[in-house]
Amino acid sequence: MSAGGRTRHTAGGALLLLLPVTAAVVGPLVTDADIPSDGMPYALGAGHPLGTDALGRDVLALVLRGGASALGVACAAVALAVAIGATLGLAAAASRSRWLDDLLIRPVELLLPLPSLLVISVVGVGWRGHPVAVALAVAALNVPAVARLLRAAALDAASGPVAEAMRLQGESSARVLFGHVGRAVLPVAAADAGTRVGGAVFTVAAANFLGLGLDPTSPDWGVMIAASREALFVQPWAVLAPTLMLVMFTVGVNLLADGLLPRAGRTGGKAMAWNR
Amino acid sequence: MLRFALRRCGWTLVQLTALSVIIFLLTNLLPGDAATVDFNEQAGLDQVAQLRKQMGLDRPLAERFADWAHGLLTGDLGTSLVGGGAVSEVLSSSVPVTAALAAVTIVLLVPLAVAVGLLTGLRAGSRTDRVVSAVTLTLTSVPDFVLALLLVSVFALRLGWLPSTWVGADEGWWQRPELFVLPVAVLLARTVCVLSRQIRAGTVTALHAGYTVQARRLGVPPTRLVLRHVLPNAAVPGIQELARTGDQLLGGVLVVEAVFAIPGTATALVEAVQNRDVPTVQALTLALAAVACLLNLAADLVSQRLAPRSEVLR
Amino acid sequence: MPVTPTRRSVLTVAAAAGAGLLTGCSSADSGSSSPKKGGTLRAAFPGAGVKETMDPHAQRQFVDIARHKAVFDKLVELDSTLRPVPRLARSWSSDDDARVWRFELREARFHDGHVLDADDVLYSISRILDPDAADHLAKNSLSHIDLSNCRKVGRRGVEIALTRPNAELPSQLAMTGTPIVRDGWDDPKKPVGTGPFRFVSFTAGRGFTGRRFDDHWNGAPHLDEVRILSAETEARAAAVRSGEVHFAHEMTPTFARTVEHNSRVRVVATRRSGVQGFALKTDRAPFDDPDAAMAVKLLVDRERLVEVVCAGRAEIGNDVYGKGYTYYPEGLAQRERDVPEARRLLKRTGLYNKKVTFYTSTAADGFAQAAHLFTDQAGEAGLKVEVVNGPPESYFTDVLGKGTVTNHRCGAMTIPTYISERLLADAPQNATAWKHQDFDDAFTAARAVVDDDKRTERYRSVQTTLRDQGGLVLWGHPEWLNAISHTVQGVKEAPPNTVDWARFDTVWLD
Repeated sequence: MSAGGRTRHTAGGALLLLLPVTAAVVGPLVTDADIPSDGMPYALGAGHPLGTDALGRDVLALVLRGGASALGVACAAVALAVAIGATLGLAAAASRSRWLDDLLIRPVELLLPLPSLLVISVVGVGWRGHPVAVALAVAALNVPAVARLLRAAALDAASGPVAEAMRLQGESSARVLFGHVGRAVLPVAAADAGTRVGGAVFTVAAANFLGLGLDPTSPDWGVMIAASREALFVQPWAVLAPTLMLVMFTVGVNLLADGLLPRAGRTGGKAMAWNR
Repeated sequence: MLRFALRRCGWTLVQLTALSVIIFLLTNLLPGDAATVDFNEQAGLDQVAQLRKQMGLDRPLAERFADWAHGLLTGDLGTSLVGGGAVSEVLSSSVPVTAALAAVTIVLLVPLAVAVGLLTGLRAGSRTDRVVSAVTLTLTSVPDFVLALLLVSVFALRLGWLPSTWVGADEGWWQRPELFVLPVAVLLARTVCVLSRQIRAGTVTALHAGYTVQARRLGVPPTRLVLRHVLPNAAVPGIQELARTGDQLLGGVLVVEAVFAIPGTATALVEAVQNRDVPTVQALTLALAAVACLLNLAADLVSQRLAPRSEVLR
Repeated sequence: MPVTPTRRSVLTVAAAAGAGLLTGCSSADSGSSSPKKGGTLRAAFPGAGVKETMDPHAQRQFVDIARHKAVFDKLVELDSTLRPVPRLARSWSSDDDARVWRFELREARFHDGHVLDADDVLYSISRILDPDAADHLAKNSLSHIDLSNCRKVGRRGVEIALTRPNAELPSQLAMTGTPIVRDGWDDPKKPVGTGPFRFVSFTAGRGFTGRRFDDHWNGAPHLDEVRILSAETEARAAAVRSGEVHFAHEMTPTFARTVEHNSRVRVVATRRSGVQGFALKTDRAPFDDPDAAMAVKLLVDRERLVEVVCAGRAEIGNDVYGKGYTYYPEGLAQRERDVPEARRLLKRTGLYNKKVTFYTSTAADGFAQAAHLFTDQAGEAGLKVEVVNGPPESYFTDVLGKGTVTNHRCGAMTIPTYISERLLADAPQNATAWKHQDFDDAFTAARAVVDDDKRTERYRSVQTTLRDQGGLVLWGHPEWLNAISHTVQGVKEAPPNTVDWARFDTVWLD
């Protein structure tokens, strides 16, 4: 891909992210925590630019209010997954002994075939309405893949000519690890996290869609889509507005990650290709 | 190669054993039990207690797990707590549906993804590449439940071309290809895009790799170059991805089965979780996990064969 | 139609006409077109997966009951005002203290050719009462049947003896889980009944097929075949809109709005099909004080709840169950919202500005929404509410023990059944924990009164006590919405569990 295309991707991604992210960040500041149910259910007009939802609440206010939880849960989950995954992966890569490497990475790999479906439905059924539980579950599901990827990327960088040269020059292993390997892994981690955020937003929204997530009156984009979907032909905005926000966000994040990817490719490209 | 395969198989067994324990504990963490759920809104606490005893749920956790594990080793998956049928019956009625759905999806997925991936990868940067890449990127980002709702609204409800659900189609579903069109379309949309982007990236890398440049210099004809040198190397990340799409596909299947009322594995699993029907949950999840493990195993073995250097994957 | 116009069908038609006026829906009964024979009708009901059963005594879900109704008959059914009407029993009578009942049986034929006799009835009752069968739910309410003293009388009569007087026995024989099976039958895989359709096939969680039984005592059905299928809300909506099914049971008000202008789908709305409300636990603080409960009854905005939760498709409730049903106490003033008085009572009982917990879940449509609105309305009167969400799968069992304020709903059943199942000290579903010996005694005494008018009067006083002292805040009587395709004729408006509900023998396809 040309450098121009890459910049366009990054710029386009940022542009698409602008609206949903602003809504998620600023929205909660400009709307009340409790959105009054003062209209008729699924009505259009009458002071509600995007109409009302099943409870007669203003859809616009809900959309402004609903980004924080929809994106927040997903972002927190991915941040957690990357933190744990990076620690495990890098420690495994840095360990010189094979058994320590195994000890760190094997238990994580155990979880790999655990169907995310089961985890989500168990968490959804068991701790209904707890965003923290959902975030933890999504994080747990992402940890194995992140750990594997970053371990591979770190091994890749550590066995490369640069690290070899540093070692020959007598640099300390800590310097090699943090100075070179860490820096090489960072863009890989960032690009990977970008695509994972998109996936996590899906997972959380899908859980809400299937009735396994938050309670059906809470203002959250995923919940809104799920709760109002039967009104698609009666009051389309109640469904379309949150859907647009979600799609803009995920397209934006993917574009952004795509723009970051080639730069990551220079250092961790091989690991990226193996493990994504 | 053989040692690698044996080691991988042994590891898969360890994984499945550990998973069965994890799954058992997870399902037991759920609030309420099968008796409470079964008599919900129907009976009082006395009757619930009687039913709980009948189901054997008053026995300690370890005893129930030992029972189940013993049954599994002797090939008996146990009896469903609700309805009282054999768990193997639930399995045999739901697995074929999902398997058919997945098979149709994968059969279409691989050639489509390879075609799109090669098309864009070989002409990276061209107008075709830019347009197709934009489309695949966008489709990757549309949640499958949104796509499913849209497709049903347009093709089933508005235009009336295709059936909107599988309701009443339980007998002879395999003879009605029209039932598969919309669900498979939803399942394909994301997976084709993800996979083709993977193959595109692999193709670009392989095209610029030393061995390709050298082969080209040696005068290997372009078709042969692509088929013998570029594609096998570009396919490796794709195959790994394919194995991993397995899980994603399952997530998609859950949504698709819910929207189209397909009586498949995902529906059965969610229902079993809701019913707190531990034996059924156990059996279904183990089956799913086994499939995931086998897919990964197969992917690793195939990659090993295509590009023997991938020891990094172990 | 093969049904002779009895008083019961006159009543049904009257109710149907009323519903038509109220909702603006065309009447569901199209008397003009004459029935056509043949065809397969597909009907979709909310499914229950592997829980579904073909054992008519273990029936629980609507989809079970609908299936069993095709294959089996009961001695008695209920009309749309929940009054018992004859089915397999042609008539009945009791002795002077309602302890011994005599039922005259119809000459009905089972699918295997056998003609119904007293032995089948006695066997059915003993099977329902089987102490080892935890899932035979009617055995609780029929536990006062004295099996050893029941006997056959003459060729077609059966005598049922009771251990205590009960004037409601006929309507209790019309409850869930009471169909009549063949003497000695015990194989749910091969159901043999007297119903209008012979059993063909059944897969739990998917569907059932029944074929016309030409020798049905009430005349053969018009349809060749009926298929009763399981499908979740969204799938039912899509399937009936796209014509994949002809009949969809239990639709939402939003769905009704969606198909308002759709000529291919019609919504059949049945008024007063049960109740929606809140349950306050009366055995613990703060609602052990009737004044605190009264404050809640006065602070709820019933119009708003009906408008939003039921999308206007409900009648305002007056804290009494069973509006429009037999024994409903007429003439009580409608309880109106009175925020100042509610606030006064809250202050008097020390609840003002205190917090109560509302335990809700998504167990039924509108529960979480109602809880959300209740929070707003209570806030206006100075009562703080914290909403806690519980798992829906076990919600109705959970609320028997926990929660201060919970959601409440109930389908159509007779008023005495409602009271005996939910409001007696030992009632299995006592969600308000209403335990008062004098109340129980008054009710039991009323139930033993043979004279209709006197019994009605006694029931009235029981119900007004409950309305003023009890923990039930019943704010709406929702409509029951079914959707049918325009080709389906002869579907009547009927509350669930009544004789014309889910009845496919009198329905035909155009």
